[in-house]
Amino acid sequence: MTVNAPGRRLDSFDVLEFLARYGTLIALGLLIVFNIVFTRNFATLQTLNVNLTQVCTIVIVATGMTLVIATGGIDLSVGSIMAISGALAPLIFLSPVFGDNIALGVAIAMVAAISAATLCGLFNGWLVAQFRIQPIVATLVLFIAGRGIAQAMTNSNLQVFRVPEFQWIGLGRPFGLPVQVLLMVTLVVVTAWLLRRSRFGRSVLATGGNERAAELAGIAVKRTKLAVYAISGFCAGIAGLVVIAINSASDANLVGLGMELDAIAAVAVGGTLLVGGRATIMGTLTGALTIQLVRYTLLANGVPDAAAMIVKAAIIAVAVWLQQQRRV
Amino acid sequence: MITRRRLLITSAAAAAAATMASRAFAAAPPLPKKDTYKVGFAQTESNNPWRLAQTQSMQDEAAKRGWQLIYTDAAGSAAKQVADVNSMIAQQVDLIFLAPREEVPLIPAIMAAKGANIPVILLDRNVAQDLAKPGEDYVTFIGSNFIEEGQRIAEYLVAMGGDKKTIIELEGTVGSSPANDRKKGFDDVIAQHPDYTIVASQSGDFARDKGRQVAETLLQAHPDANVIYAHNDEMAIGAIAALEAAGRTAGRSDCLVFSIDGGKEIVQLVVDGKVEAVVECNPRFGPKAFDTAVAYANGETIPPVIINPDEMYTPDNAAELLPSAY
Repeated sequence: MTVNAPGRRLDSFDVLEFLARYGTLIALGLLIVFNIVFTRNFATLQTLNVNLTQVCTIVIVATGMTLVIATGGIDLSVGSIMAISGALAPLIFLSPVFGDNIALGVAIAMVAAISAATLCGLFNGWLVAQFRIQPIVATLVLFIAGRGIAQAMTNSNLQVFRVPEFQWIGLGRPFGLPVQVLLMVTLVVVTAWLLRRSRFGRSVLATGGNERAAELAGIAVKRTKLAVYAISGFCAGIAGLVVIAINSASDANLVGLGMELDAIAAVAVGGTLLVGGRATIMGTLTGALTIQLVRYTLLANGVPDAAAMIVKAAIIAVAVWLQQQRRV
Repeated sequence: MITRRRLLITSAAAAAAATMASRAFAAAPPLPKKDTYKVGFAQTESNNPWRLAQTQSMQDEAAKRGWQLIYTDAAGSAAKQVADVNSMIAQQVDLIFLAPREEVPLIPAIMAAKGANIPVILLDRNVAQDLAKPGEDYVTFIGSNFIEEGQRIAEYLVAMGGDKKTIIELEGTVGSSPANDRKKGFDDVIAQHPDYTIVASQSGDFARDKGRQVAETLLQAHPDANVIYAHNDEMAIGAIAALEAAGRTAGRSDCLVFSIDGGKEIVQLVVDGKVEAVVECNPRFGPKAFDTAVAYANGETIPPVIINPDEMYTPDNAAELLPSAY
């Protein structure tokens, strides 16, 4: 590195490099400081609790999305897959088949819903890997059809339930910590480890960096792609269950609506290259937290949601611009 | 030879002439007196319990009277709804019940029906009054008064007295007429009572999940709030989840929750003591709509606006009225 070489006019470049690497983290820090000073009742455990539980589903979906984007792909279908998982589970555990044995019904419902979501992801991967369809088009298929499937399953009706055995996934508090936060942390840690340390992670990054070279180097590109889309579907399936559990209701028209964009925004702000080849799960977590905290800050201080959207867009624009500087 | 373009121009001219001619009539098209009628009902969407209850009520009433009902569902598209009305005109129905999706885009449908000499009765949403007039272009509008719904909640809250005076308001979808009017009705009454304050008012998009998230944030920023007024049931239920997540209680002991719409789920919550009061937005249009059609055929004078009576569910009557909630 020539960073400290004397006489080189690289100072401004260094600032950009630094910002690109740590910009999101700095923004998050600044936001927290701003809130401690200006937002009423901010520095409390409950605020942390509210923000973490609200950001959970986005982080869970964005974790899978990071892997997909690392291979140079994109997954538009995550929101619709959430709707499928969210519609399927209550259909199973509310069915009279299980009678008194609600625990069995809940177990089968969760396995079935997450399996269905993973299968949807595999279908995406199959289209992308086998037929070389552009990911944005391939996943558009389920983006459109998936919500239709969820609506058809439930006849577009709201499914309302009170099943503590199931809602534990969204409302449970073992050791005072929300279950969905524990789920999120587990997923983030495991995926971060996979990406950094495992052979699978190497394959993912190699595929995204230069697919042809990866193939020539003996990496199973097709299988890698199948796997990342399946993982993305799996994550979306879990997120779908969490959302309906918190709300004690599943609305196929609304579960996961717009989630694909929130997840992609978190990934982009977090510093993962959208063309693939470089990815950071911790960045995605930071990105999602930053967007969440912006929204919280504006809402808590009486700024309408519409303004929050504009600020969110501005943050994405700045983050992508910083990334561009880094690649120079 | 008739080219396609000429055909288009001629038919456009004919349509324009027809519209002009129909505008010359001062009154809406008449409805002849008959024993039974063939009527159309152009629904705007059917993705929520309220719409389903409305459709059910119309179908039940038609079956009861032995009328033939032609039902269409525009699935949330104004363009499809215009096409639906045109197909009803082609099927030569006697009268059209229309729940217009939007205020301006449905004007051509109303004018087309008028041109075909078919009377139209509007249900639950109105159209732009500078473009179409009751008694001339359509017979009348039957619906709820959204402003009054908001007023009734505010008046109930003020009449309760007590120390619950710090209010969080969860608004509906920005720009929609129920959200605008329910806010106006409520805020205007509250403004006359300076000891009551609305500390925060944000949109929860009429949705449970969004309503919950917004309520969580607002409750955290305004922990002193002890009243939540939601513009519909779904957001109110989301707000209860937010209260419970924050370790608080929905009900008279801690934070009052109010709502508008009055589906079964929320009325049950009134019975349970978690919701203080709900103003119903009555979806049962059948009896009134068909009565109005008969009165119109009999030549009675129809007022330009007919307001559906809305029930109010409170702890005093909720248990008794629960079976009749939609």
